[in-house]
Amino acid sequence: MKPNRNVLPGQPGPRLQQHWDWRAAANFICGGSGGGLVFFAALAGLAGVDVRAQMAAGLALAAAGLLCVWLEIGRPWRALNVFRHLRTSWMTREAAVALLLFGSGTLAVASSHPAAQALAGLCGLAFVYSQARILTADKGIPAWRHARCAPLMLLTGVAEGAGLIAATLPGELHAVAGMVIALAVLARLLLWRRYLDGLRESAAPVASLRALAAIERRFAVFGSIVPASLALLATAGALVGIAGTAIVLAVAGVLATAAGGLCKYTLIRRAAFTQGIALAHHPVRGGRRPAPPAAPGLSKA
Amino acid sequence: MTRYVMTIDLRRCVGCQTCTAACKNANATPPGVQWRRVLDLETGEFPDVRRSFLPMACMHCAEPPCADVCPTQATQKRGDGLVSIDYDVCIGCANCVMACPYEARSIVHEAHFAYGDTPIASEAIRFDPARLSVATKCSFCKERIDAAAGKGLVPGRDPEVTPACVNSCISGAMAFGDIDDPDSTVSRLLATTQHFRMHEDLGTGPSVHYIWDHA
Amino acid sequence: MSADTSRTERKVPSYCYNCVAGPDFMTVKVVDDVATEIEPNFAAADIHPARGRVCVKAHGLVQKTYNPHRILQPMKRTNPKKGRNEDPGFVPISWDEALDTIATRLAAVREKGLIDESGLPRVAASFGHGGTPAMYMGTFPAFLAAWGPIDFSFGSGQGVKCVHSEHLYGEFWHRAFTVAADTPHCRYVISIGSNVDASGGPCAVSRHADARVRGYKRVQVEPHLSITGACASEWVPIRPKTDPAFMFALIHVLVCEHGIGQLDLPFLRDRTSSPYLVGPDGLYLRDPDSARPLVWDAATGRALPFDTPGVEPALEGRFRVTAAVTVDADDARHPLADVEGVPAYTMLVEHMHKYTPEWAEGICDVPAATIRRIAGEYLANACIGEAIEIDGAAMPLRPVAVTLGKSVNNGWGAFECCWARTVLATLVGALEVPGGTLGTTVRLNRPHDDRHLSVTAGEDGFMAQKFNPTDKENWVAQPTGRNAHRTLVPIVGNSAWSQALGPTQLAWMFQREVPRDFNMPKPTLPDIWFIYRSNPAISFWDTPTLVETIATFPFTVSFAYTVDETNFFADLLLPEATDLESLQMIKVGGTKFVEQFWTARGVVLRQPAVEPQGEARDFTWISTELARRTGLLEPYNKAINRGAGGVSPRAGEGYDFSLDPTRTHDVDTIWDAICRAASTDLSQGQETHDLAWFKEHGFYTVPMPQRSWYLTPTLAEKGLRYELPYQERLLRIGRELGNRLHEHDMHWWDTQLSEYTALPEWHDVPGRWEQALVRSGARAEDFPFWLLATKSMQYHTGGNVSIALMREVAQNVRGHAGVIMNANTAKGLGIADGDRVEIRSHIGATYGKAVLAHGIRPDTLVIPGQFDHWATPVAKDFGMPSLNTVAPMSLELTDATGSGADIVRVAIRRLEGSIVQ
Repeated sequence: MKPNRNVLPGQPGPRLQQHWDWRAAANFICGGSGGGLVFFAALAGLAGVDVRAQMAAGLALAAAGLLCVWLEIGRPWRALNVFRHLRTSWMTREAAVALLLFGSGTLAVASSHPAAQALAGLCGLAFVYSQARILTADKGIPAWRHARCAPLMLLTGVAEGAGLIAATLPGELHAVAGMVIALAVLARLLLWRRYLDGLRESAAPVASLRALAAIERRFAVFGSIVPASLALLATAGALVGIAGTAIVLAVAGVLATAAGGLCKYTLIRRAAFTQGIALAHHPVRGGRRPAPPAAPGLSKA
Repeated sequence: MTRYVMTIDLRRCVGCQTCTAACKNANATPPGVQWRRVLDLETGEFPDVRRSFLPMACMHCAEPPCADVCPTQATQKRGDGLVSIDYDVCIGCANCVMACPYEARSIVHEAHFAYGDTPIASEAIRFDPARLSVATKCSFCKERIDAAAGKGLVPGRDPEVTPACVNSCISGAMAFGDIDDPDSTVSRLLATTQHFRMHEDLGTGPSVHYIWDHA
Repeated sequence: MSADTSRTERKVPSYCYNCVAGPDFMTVKVVDDVATEIEPNFAAADIHPARGRVCVKAHGLVQKTYNPHRILQPMKRTNPKKGRNEDPGFVPISWDEALDTIATRLAAVREKGLIDESGLPRVAASFGHGGTPAMYMGTFPAFLAAWGPIDFSFGSGQGVKCVHSEHLYGEFWHRAFTVAADTPHCRYVISIGSNVDASGGPCAVSRHADARVRGYKRVQVEPHLSITGACASEWVPIRPKTDPAFMFALIHVLVCEHGIGQLDLPFLRDRTSSPYLVGPDGLYLRDPDSARPLVWDAATGRALPFDTPGVEPALEGRFRVTAAVTVDADDARHPLADVEGVPAYTMLVEHMHKYTPEWAEGICDVPAATIRRIAGEYLANACIGEAIEIDGAAMPLRPVAVTLGKSVNNGWGAFECCWARTVLATLVGALEVPGGTLGTTVRLNRPHDDRHLSVTAGEDGFMAQKFNPTDKENWVAQPTGRNAHRTLVPIVGNSAWSQALGPTQLAWMFQREVPRDFNMPKPTLPDIWFIYRSNPAISFWDTPTLVETIATFPFTVSFAYTVDETNFFADLLLPEATDLESLQMIKVGGTKFVEQFWTARGVVLRQPAVEPQGEARDFTWISTELARRTGLLEPYNKAINRGAGGVSPRAGEGYDFSLDPTRTHDVDTIWDAICRAASTDLSQGQETHDLAWFKEHGFYTVPMPQRSWYLTPTLAEKGLRYELPYQERLLRIGRELGNRLHEHDMHWWDTQLSEYTALPEWHDVPGRWEQALVRSGARAEDFPFWLLATKSMQYHTGGNVSIALMREVAQNVRGHAGVIMNANTAKGLGIADGDRVEIRSHIGATYGKAVLAHGIRPDTLVIPGQFDHWATPVAKDFGMPSLNTVAPMSLELTDATGSGADIVRVAIRRLEGSIVQ
């Protein structure tokens, strides 16, 4: 049995969500990385590389994430009900895309047919996109629902996919792979910064900003600048024909992926503060002048 | 058309939690689960301080984000404005919990009772295992409202078909009724007072209106 | 909920009277013979001020019924040693054994004599909160009445937790055991520490909510922003216990700055003692022949007795009186000739001259401008000259009131506050008129149901008072109860309620130690002590010491819901059928405590909604059995027939439902007779309803005129005056009491005698606590904070601490996790929200979590309710601190009424690591 969560309110300010634990975070971490990996595997496959292993690994990652979610939901034996709301629910869409992803991915692994690979790659990207949209649809969590959250989630999936596949590619693709990693992590860093700026501007909970700020340095240095530098180094090395670029790419890729994981774990588990309350007007009790509105725990826009 | 809404006059509320307790009894919610509660909110610095009491529950939104994200359609928006949950369909994914800006939803996975693991008689007779591991929340006392037509009664006017919290409120802060009926208590109250809805900027269209001053 | 159509469901009408703010109506929803919900009784919506609703506490009654920690069969103690560390070894016994054990003990007492060698009753009883246990104890009052003298003086908080001085002085001045604003008509209330939105019950809460929406202004004057403060229009954070200075300054502004031209002159002249001439010795100048107080007749320019027809009394000036007499203590008459007489009103004005808002600012920490503004608003809102139609008759409308809260109206300073509040009402004619300050019931006078009937002509044109005698011949030199209420407190009188309203902490203190010059028989322990709905080991002060005293009681019988900190020392635990399981009828409506003044009066039935759990028995059955087994059946039945503790006599004009006094009657038979008598009496013989009818309908009421809320018309009809502003009688009585005590070489009550003054002076009220601290050997600077208590609606009365639902919902209300302190103060002390803290006074420490807030003075700490349980199930796990643990019982801090206040100097510090208590 799963333990009960503390659902009693303590203070009226924003509170950290208590219902999605490491298992939900694992779905976003593994799903994003897996989807991204499948996407790049498809690209590499279309470029003629044998990507069956990478494709399979991507699918396995996505499956592992979904397995975690299945372990988390309250009524796992009713899990198939998840398909009942395609019209508006991104969770339903994630599940539907996952079906397509595993179908096309399995076919791609089995056949290496370019069409299957292409479809799987698109599904991988769609899967990441669906996950990103799950978060933005959650209006109760200001850090998730922000418009800049979804692009960040999508791009980190891409960066993680690029990072995971790079070292496994043939040497002639290392230069390109390095470029892709560098571009992806730097673009991710840009989106991350814009996302944080956006949160501040939208008066997100102070506690959310604090949780994200806590990883900002690690994310920027070890998750972005170092892997970008290493990736560019690998690109340069590949271009001049120095050996060992695979190792450098591997290190860059791992850092890029780990940073994505850290970002998502933080977002799901540590920065997921609720909206809190907003008292737009204090009640006027008899002859007293009304006080200014109150929304405790939110940063000032 | 009928759209049921609740008005809460913040000028009246004293934060006594009578509605919280009445709801817990009426809906047999387990310890720690409060489908409604009254927040005790202080702002300002000594000596210029305001303390207010803010009843919170499901807002039965016109555009409920919980229903949008629900992958199973267990959460539904009804024609009369109520947002309901089908416990037999819900998978307990908690996506709705994340979607609700009002922290109105709860999920518990184990049966707990007021005095430990063994239910007392009043709990045993109403224990419903279907409520475990699924999302639950204020239903506007749906069963009462659904019984109204058959009994020829009007929710908000006749206590028998009015939510328990509204009935219980000792300060008379709460009213319930059909906002599409211009003669209902809620319509008349809203016409003669200044009021707001919480987080209206999120586009949820809450059905709970907080009154804060006369018009 | 899953709808199961096979279930049977019924709704049972009943009532809740768990606190003095009741009674209120409710229904119990019963599904398949299990109580599941408490709901309002909307059938009572038109007659009940709160429209048939009950407060949060009543919603806990379902869990109260099925609480697995209940005592469900009689138990006896097997460990003869009593102590907090001694396991009582309670073992189950039969009802027969339990009742026979008590009967044998009682028979032994009767054989020895009901009064012991010290002149004190051998049987004592302690009941909890404000008489409300009587609303649940069936016919037990009839058993007590049949028994004879019983000592009720072992208080469970009376005098220190109630609004004690208000009870005594309120009843003296305007038959106001409890005082309220006429909220339905009021426009401006100065609420000084009164937490009516937490403790006033549904009637007060709904009325004040209506008033807020209507736009009335309530100014809340208190050190901590309470629930009521939160709902007020303005918060004035006054320094603790300086309320008299604030109120004196309000009076100053009215009488010295605005002046009589803006006050209600006719009211002062005709309904108060304002025109009575005071002589140089501070006593009324009286007519030499009749000894009636003189007034200065402006028409004839001479002094005349106040009741001379056609007299036009002057209120201002100084006049030469050719011949007069003054009457001092012990009837000492002093003839005076050509003496200066000063109207009492002028005495007041001159007396208040020094109490300027600027003076008060330094004491109260309230800006003088604020005080002046509030006084002005009070006066402006008094609408002097306006009238309102009530029940078809024009009455004055004076919609302003001053209400006082616990710790303001008890203990030192309370006399001054009660006096000032009542004077403020009289100055604008707002006493006992629509919109103004009202009394809502009497307890020291009779009849309890109709305070107007208690208004009879007494001396000097005032109401007759039932003081305990202070004259040499009749003074009760040897106490008849262990708190010496008749000996020490003249104003408390000697009604059925008086003993419990005496200095109840003295009963406890004197068990341990008496003053050196006590000079009265040493108080003994009672042979038998009954306790019900009362837990003094938690609800009184210095509780660690108190339990040591309780442990010495030789034989204690507790009607017990669960084990608690008091009955832990009991010899017998008896499980009585509780709220939803038992049968009783009580009166509702009319005018009762707090804001229970209705436009209907009648009776309401509490009935078994469900069968009693376990071996719990209806209190009436227990009472009848005790009466039978002690040979008191006949006087017991006769007491029931008289209406003792019940609703109304079984026989009256045109009806007789008397019980045969010689027979044993079952519970239903007894209450059926009461139902019939009550309905016949109320309907004046028009309707008679039996128990079955009441079980179905729940209550029966008849209309009551609203004009009966107001006492002033009754005084006017009888040509009487309020004994204000000048307290000549109290001055004289105090002198007499002093004479009596000193004749017996008793000086330990001298400090209290200083309270008997004609016009109260400011004395450093908070300083008394600081001085007491120093005198006990501590350093004042070591205890820099005031610790206060505040009421909790969820726990008010304290009898529901083991109800899990109350704990859960109370956590939503600030402070129910620990001690509230100012956030900036806490920061300075390195205390964060939620930190475990120690709150230490000079007698001990209590522990809990810090709850930081800005709505509290930096020098003040506040703890809600009263906790620190160590035996009561559920509550003992709360980890809540309690003022009662660290507040001393002190003669020095006991005022003349025998009252003390919930306030103590403390230090606070953050605890590192876990707590070791």
